Parts: sequence; C-alpha cells; structure tokens
Amino acid sequence: MKRPLQLPLAGAAVLASLAVGAALADDALFTSRAGVGALTGAQIYDHICSGCHMPGGAGATGAGSYPKLAGNQKFVSWQFVALTVLNGRNGMPPFGRPADEVAQVRATHLSDAQIADVVNYVRSHFDNAFKPEVTAGQVAALPHPKSGLIGPQ
Amino acid sequence: MGNEVGSNSLSRRQLLQMIGSTAGSAAMYQAMSSLGLAAESPYRGPIDLKTAPKGASVVILGAGLAGMTAAYELRNAGYQVQILEYNNRAGGRNWTLRGGDRYTELGGFTQQCEFDQDLYINPGPWRIPYHHHGMMHYAKVLRVPLEPFFQVNYNAYLHSPRAFGGKPQRYREVKADYQGHVAELLAKATRQNALDASVSKEDQEKLLESLREWGALDKNYAYLSGDFVSSRRGFEKKPGGGLSGRPIPSKPVGLSDILGSGLWQGVASGDEYDMQTSLFQPVGGMGRIGEAFGRELGPLIRYNSKVTDIHQDDHRVTVTFVDNGSSKTAQSVSADWCLCTIPLPILAQIPMNVDQPMASAVAAVPYAAAVKVGLQFKRRFWEEDEQIYGGISYTDLPIMNIGYPNTGFQSSGKGVLLGAYIWGLNAMEFTAMTPQERVRKAVDYGAQLHAQYHKEFDNGVAVAWHRVPFTMGCMGLWSSDSREKHYDDLCKIDGRIALAGEHASYLGGWQEGAVTSALDAISRLHQLAVAQGDKA
Repeated sequence: MKRPLQLPLAGAAVLASLAVGAALADDALFTSRAGVGALTGAQIYDHICSGCHMPGGAGATGAGSYPKLAGNQKFVSWQFVALTVLNGRNGMPPFGRPADEVAQVRATHLSDAQIADVVNYVRSHFDNAFKPEVTAGQVAALPHPKSGLIGPQ
Repeated sequence: MGNEVGSNSLSRRQLLQMIGSTAGSAAMYQAMSSLGLAAESPYRGPIDLKTAPKGASVVILGAGLAGMTAAYELRNAGYQVQILEYNNRAGGRNWTLRGGDRYTELGGFTQQCEFDQDLYINPGPWRIPYHHHGMMHYAKVLRVPLEPFFQVNYNAYLHSPRAFGGKPQRYREVKADYQGHVAELLAKATRQNALDASVSKEDQEKLLESLREWGALDKNYAYLSGDFVSSRRGFEKKPGGGLSGRPIPSKPVGLSDILGSGLWQGVASGDEYDMQTSLFQPVGGMGRIGEAFGRELGPLIRYNSKVTDIHQDDHRVTVTFVDNGSSKTAQSVSADWCLCTIPLPILAQIPMNVDQPMASAVAAVPYAAAVKVGLQFKRRFWEEDEQIYGGISYTDLPIMNIGYPNTGFQSSGKGVLLGAYIWGLNAMEFTAMTPQERVRKAVDYGAQLHAQYHKEFDNGVAVAWHRVPFTMGCMGLWSSDSREKHYDDLCKIDGRIALAGEHASYLGGWQEGAVTSALDAISRLHQLAVAQGDKA
C-alpha cells in the first residue's frame, strides 16, 4: 500500500525531449503530467472524475457513497462544485493544489480554466442544465488549497 | 509518480538532497523527520493493559489490522469486545486475491479471479520491513510464517521508453556505471586538488582509496572495462569452468548516457529506511495475517455490517448498522467505549456526535488513488528466460512497477506477477477504466519490458482503490499543514470515541501505522476506563 519508489524518471534531459502540450502522447488513454494541462472538461471527467463518480455521473454506494452528479440539486451553486474540485471534499483529492506540489500529494493539478471547464461540463451534462457558465476568472477568485508540503507517505 | 514525465517539480528525494547538500546532514535528518521519513515505528514490545475494569465493554468498528489488533489486546485484558465489519471477511486492506475469489468494485464491475492454485496478488500491502516490530510481533503471535520479500533485485530492470532505445536495463549495470563514473569524477577532482579546501591531505588519501573500492576504479582511478568493473556490472561472457570458462569483461555505459537516461533515479530504490533489507511477506499472501486474526477473534466479529450511525452520551456509545446480506432493518449495539477504524472517506459520511475539531479532521484528509494489476502467465518466463527471481522492475510507463513473485521459484506451470502498481494521475486514469481495460493496458505496457507478454498472457485482475467499496481510496494523504491543523484532533479521544487506522499515524499507508495507532488509542481508552472503575 505504501508508495512504491518515488521514481520519477523525469530527469531534465528526459523533459527536454517532450513537446509541451503532448497530452495523450503515449496513448489515447493516458496523460503525462505535462500533458494534463491540455485536457478539456469532458476529457477530465472521463479520465479522472468518472473513476469515482462513474460514467454518466451515476455515483456509487458501498460502505459510503460517491454522490450522483446526474440531477444533483447542489449543482445549482457553481461555487459548490468549483470549491469541491479545487479543495476536495472528504476523501476526494484536491485538484487546485499548486502545480509544483502535486508530486507530494500524488494527485494532479488542474488550472483555473480547466476547473471552470469541468464545472461547466458536469453542470450541463447527465440531465443537468444549470446556468450560467463559469469562467476561469471566477474560479481564480475562489479560495484555493493552502500551499504546504505533503507529509510522510 | 514515475510516469509523470514533464513535471518540473521537485521530488521529495530531490528536495531532501538539496537540503542535504546545502545545509548538511543534520538539517536533512531534521527535514526527513518532519516529513516523517526517518520515523521509526514506535512499537516497543507487547502491550500490557493489565486488567480491564469489571464489565467494561468496547465496540470496535472495522476488522482491519487496527480493529483486530485492538480487539485482540482488549479481549486479552478482559474487556467485552464486539467488532462490526462491513465485508464478509476479516483483514480490510490486508487482503489477498486468489483463484476462485470474486470481487465487485463500486460501479458494479465484478471480476472472477482465475489464477491457478497457490497463485495470488496482494491488492493492498505486500511487504513488511523488519523494523515494523508491531507487524512482526503479530505475525509471530498468530503463527503466520514469513518469507523474504526482495525489494532490490540487481537483475531486474530499470526502464524508460525514452532511454536506451526503450530497451530495459539491468539494475546491476545502471548502478555500477552510475557509481563508477561518480567515483571517477570525485577521484579526479581530489587529485586535481579541487577538494583541498574541504578535505585534509591525509583524508584525501583515504577518500581516494575508498572511491576505488566503492566505484570499482582501476589503479589510475579510472572506471574502465575489466574484471573489477565486471565483478560489479556483470561480464559479457560469464566465468565458467574448463577450457570454455574464460570470461569476457563487459563494457560500461558512458556517463552522459547514464545521466541522460534518467535511470539513475532508480538506483537508490532499496536505500530508504522502509525498503531496506530485510523485508518479509507472509507465506501464501499478505491476507494470511488478516485471516489468522479473524480466526483468532472468531465470534467477536460480526460480518456484513454496514455502520450508519455512531452516537455517544455520558454513559455509552450506540452504533447503528444494517446487515448487508439479509435484512436491511437497522440494528444497534452499545458499549462503554468505541474504537472506530473506518476509513475517513466513509466515516466522514456517517453521523457521529463528536466535537467540531474532530469532525473537521475526519473530513480533512484526501485519499490517494492507487491501482494494482495481477497478471497470470502460462509460464514463469521472467525466471526461465531472464533470470529474474523476485524483486521489482521500475518503468516510467503508466504501469510504474512490475513485481515478480518472491516465492515458488522455478516451479513449472503458470505464474502470477504484479503487472502494475500505480499512484497519482495515472492511477486515477486507470481507476476510470473497466477492470478488463486495466488488465489489457497493463499487458500492453508490460510488453515493452518483456516481449513474452502477449504470447504468454493468461488472465488478470485489477484493483483500483478508489473503487474499493470498503475504503473508497488507498490511504490518507496528510500534508504538513493539514497535519498541523487536524492530526491531534483526529487522534484524541472525544468523550467515549477514539479513532485508529493508518490514517491516524505517521506511518501512512503502512500496516504498522494501523497497528501502532490502535495500540496507542486503546492504551488511552484503557486509562479512561480504569479511572471510571468497575461497573456495578
């Protein structure tokens, strides 16, 4: 369960050979951390969010639940959705941590524009039709996770 | 993070190296301690609770290692103990998947494990460092036999599709060449008097001598092909007997190629305290420990019990649950005290009347994504063709690790290896796939290290921890700020309720964290119980 080696075979020389924005370069199913910045809201949902919230925003229940996104009345508040993506909620990882800290949180960083994009996506899909659309500027104005190195893992 | 090429962030190791090189080793040790890296297990031998107050009772939530450690010790001290467990088995994340097992993840995706007899994977923890004294103690007490776990295998691979034309390199060669070139450079600097300001003349002699030994340098302090170097990195033709036995030395890879490959990042794989020899695994799978605990505790565990409410008053704690299997009607149990080991993503959703600081702490810890894939092959080609017996190969492909079985060496018939062990972004992406897709991708990527994969593949299983119904995530991820703000509030006793589990430890993700947090919590509960005295 413990992390494997922190083995980012990501030396500077390796980095230099990668084109910026080469999202999904290896494989249509996988992104690199460099490439994640190019993902759209729909791609973010399919490749990341749906792991827990399930295809179609169906949610799931075991000992606890992943909320159903389809027809979720909490989504009337775009701020609720954006703050959840930025800061996480309960066990959900935050996606608004500074880009230079995601290695420590073993998570990923989404830009404010991407968070706006995925917020708009989930509020306008799965039978949801919440308006208005959100902009990167509005997301930027919300509180982001406090910076801080991650501890022992 | 192995695959996340493109980050320009510091890895933790890089950060520590930077601190070490600029501020000295004392500062580095301090930084390591605050990050928790150098933390020794606090376990100091079997706990002795003396005798429980007459009639005292504890309800324990969760039959994972934390809950069962607590139950075992509290029962032995004379407490009345009952455990409620969501699953139909004991162990929690201490878990082994074997042939015949059926596993349904969140979303309803069901897998039938089709491994041959005696073959398995551990979806969760898979190794026990020798200094995890609590785990070692309970394995012994429960009579679970251990066998070696090989963290470092010099004949396994380091791999990147962008290094050496995508050809996997033997760990032994990368280590010898990296070390040899560094030794040569340092020797050169020493002999050119570049170190005069920091190393005395007398010490320089000793340094040179040590560099020759450490790096396999020749008499001129050069790292060059020859018997000495080949005794580290291996021979092109190995020494043998008789007329055909004359060895041919191998040729080192140049410094620039080693540095450029990035593979040097895998060289220190066994140097971390948690990864240092000796490490162990239970014979038959990690789950043997949870199974043995389950047998030991027998009827104290009520399985298939989903907790829905935890309520305390001045006198007792009442836990409401529903039975997963049969009736959905709510039932309840009461006890004087409650030890709750439910993973935080789930506990955060269960009504529980504790104070606001503890409630905030429960909701403050995100859980890591992690994925493991077990692959069965028709034969043990990694042993037969490549002489890899146990250990781990590392790659910056999305699968990150290939773990070879540390048992059953040279057996004929099929074999199971760990075909992927993934953290971070790619773990999230693997989680979002169906189990069948995960297995297929693990086979496709692994074929870049082992060409035999597609021909020999038989079947596989994949566990994505965010889709595991009983944890909803792999392990708690503390940050230094969240630890400062919430950790003590999480671990303190609130009225009659205490929490335990790896999330309530500085050994996050390790079973030892679960064991030591449970012992810490029940020691404090016991003191409170003793202070209240015998019941009438």
